[in-house]
Order: sequence, then structure tokens, then C-alpha cells
Amino acid sequence: MRYVATLHVRTKPEVRDPQGEAALGALRSLGLEVSNVRTGKEIVVTFEAADEGAATEAIRVMGNELLANPVIEDYDYDLAAATPA
Amino acid sequence: MTRVALLRYPGTWSERDFQHALSLIPGVETEILWHEDADLRGFDAAIVPGGFSYGDYLRAGAIAKISPATKALRRFADDGKPVLGSCNGFQILCEAGLLPGALLRNAGLEYRCDWIHIRAESGRTPWTAGLAGQVLRMPIGHGEGCFVADPDTIASLEERGQVVFRYTDAAGVATPDANPNGSAANIAGVSNEAGNVVGLMPHPERCVEALLGGTDGYRVLAAVTRALEPAGRAVYR
Repeated sequence: MRYVATLHVRTKPEVRDPQGEAALGALRSLGLEVSNVRTGKEIVVTFEAADEGAATEAIRVMGNELLANPVIEDYDYDLAAATPA
Repeated sequence: MTRVALLRYPGTWSERDFQHALSLIPGVETEILWHEDADLRGFDAAIVPGGFSYGDYLRAGAIAKISPATKALRRFADDGKPVLGSCNGFQILCEAGLLPGALLRNAGLEYRCDWIHIRAESGRTPWTAGLAGQVLRMPIGHGEGCFVADPDTIASLEERGQVVFRYTDAAGVATPDANPNGSAANIAGVSNEAGNVVGLMPHPERCVEALLGGTDGYRVLAAVTRALEPAGRAVYR
């Protein structure tokens, strides 16, 4: 089966996000009443797995071993079967 | 003869500077090893130089951590051999879990290229033997050097003497102004629990001759040869 996983990686709440702070200042300079900005990234992975359980296990390996750094980041994901082209 | 391996990943750029720096130390032989087939057998120490391994994609040092060289390095470190990572090398060692903590984008978002001062906080590592308490002047050049770890980890690093270098002013005082990147507790370098693996953001290889503006990097690189060969005498330049 072909799956598509969309991982959302975010800096942990207690870790500073200098990019978010810079964007916060810039948004305020536009005259908007912005109180907080946090940045993150979205990573979309297309991959093969035997079934949904194996796919979930594969995402955990991807997230924990490479795509997120557990010291500073959290992640969650959406998993879907790939729609045939 | 002390044999030092210099690991080169795609995007590493400081390996030749390290090779030159180490060539100034009597009794040291170096070899640059490509990451895909790095064999560390027969080496006494290993250095992960700075640069932009894999273009800093994903996170600085993240992709290098799954390279064959990093696997070899992990075995080498487990054997108690001295390992040093500078700048991107420090980031790689943290990403690989060989060192605690992580390095984030500098607090001010700016890439910092400057001369700074660091104080050697611990003399128990092979890279700082005889340097405890010394204030060293070194160059930095990095955009992601803000050292972070959770408060419990920081407390445990302090308690176990794993904070190896701290950003200070010229007098050796760790002030907020002396901290170039927002690092927790002004931390510029740490070691693993055993003390044989050390990482720091500054560049010792760039200050080994008076011509380069300073020689304090020579003291760090020479320390390891002293630690490995207590009978040998490193010449201070």
C-alpha cells in the first residue's frame, strides 16, 4: 500500500522560537494586534507500507529518528492512503 | 605519533583548516576521511569539523547523524577515544545524541561572525587538560549556535562538570553581553558524561598562529596530544 503522511513539526512550547518572535514584531509593525507567533514546518512523505499499522510505525521512526529533534521539537501527523494517480 | 581523523561530510568546510592547524603540533598525523567509508580503526582521536553538512537541510547536523561516519564515530566514542566537534561538528554530535542538548537559531536571528572569549570550565576532558579556568579568545561564525536543553539537563550538566566552555568577557565573567547567541547559561561547549566527547561552537582551528589573530585554538588542539601522550611535550606558539 502507498501512504501519504503529513508531519507537523513545532518547536516545543518552552523552547524559544526566534523566527516566531521576529514575525511577531513584523506583524505588529503592520498595525495588527498580534500577541504571539510560533513557527513550524510541514513535511509530506509518500511511502510504501504493508498496512496502516506498519505505516504508523514507519512514521514514528521518521519523526523520532530524523524529521523532528525530540530535544527541541514536537510533532504530530496525518496519515492517509495515497490516491492513485 | 598521534593519529587524528578529520571527518568530511558533504558540505564540511573546515577539515583543511584543522589539518593545517594540527600540522603545527609536533607528533601529530592527520587524515581526512570521507563520511561514506570512514574507518576509524588505528586513530587516536577524531574531529568533526565545521561547515554546512547537507546544506543544513532539515536542521543543522540532522542528516549527517545517519551517515556511516557517525555510526563509526559512535563506536569510537564508546571506546573512550577523544572526539571533538566544532561549530557544525558540535551540531552533528548533538543531533547524533553523542552530546546532550541542541543548537537553535541564534536568539537575535543574526549570523554571528566575530571574535569572542570563552572560559574553559573543566580540565577533565582530553581537549581541555591543563586549561581549566583559562580565558581563551576564539572566532565564531554561526547562525544556529544557541545551546538549549531542558532545565533538569542544564542542572545536571553543571553538576557533573559537563559544561566545558562558557562565553565570557575578556576578564572571564559570564555576562549577558558576552553571550553571542542566547545560549542557556552562556554555554559555548559541553562534553558527554565520560568527558571524552566535546563540542563547542567556536573555531579553535582558526586561531593557531599569530598571523591569524590568535593562538588559543592551538592550546586546545595541543591539549589532546598531551592527554594522549603524557610524555610528549606540545610546543606553545
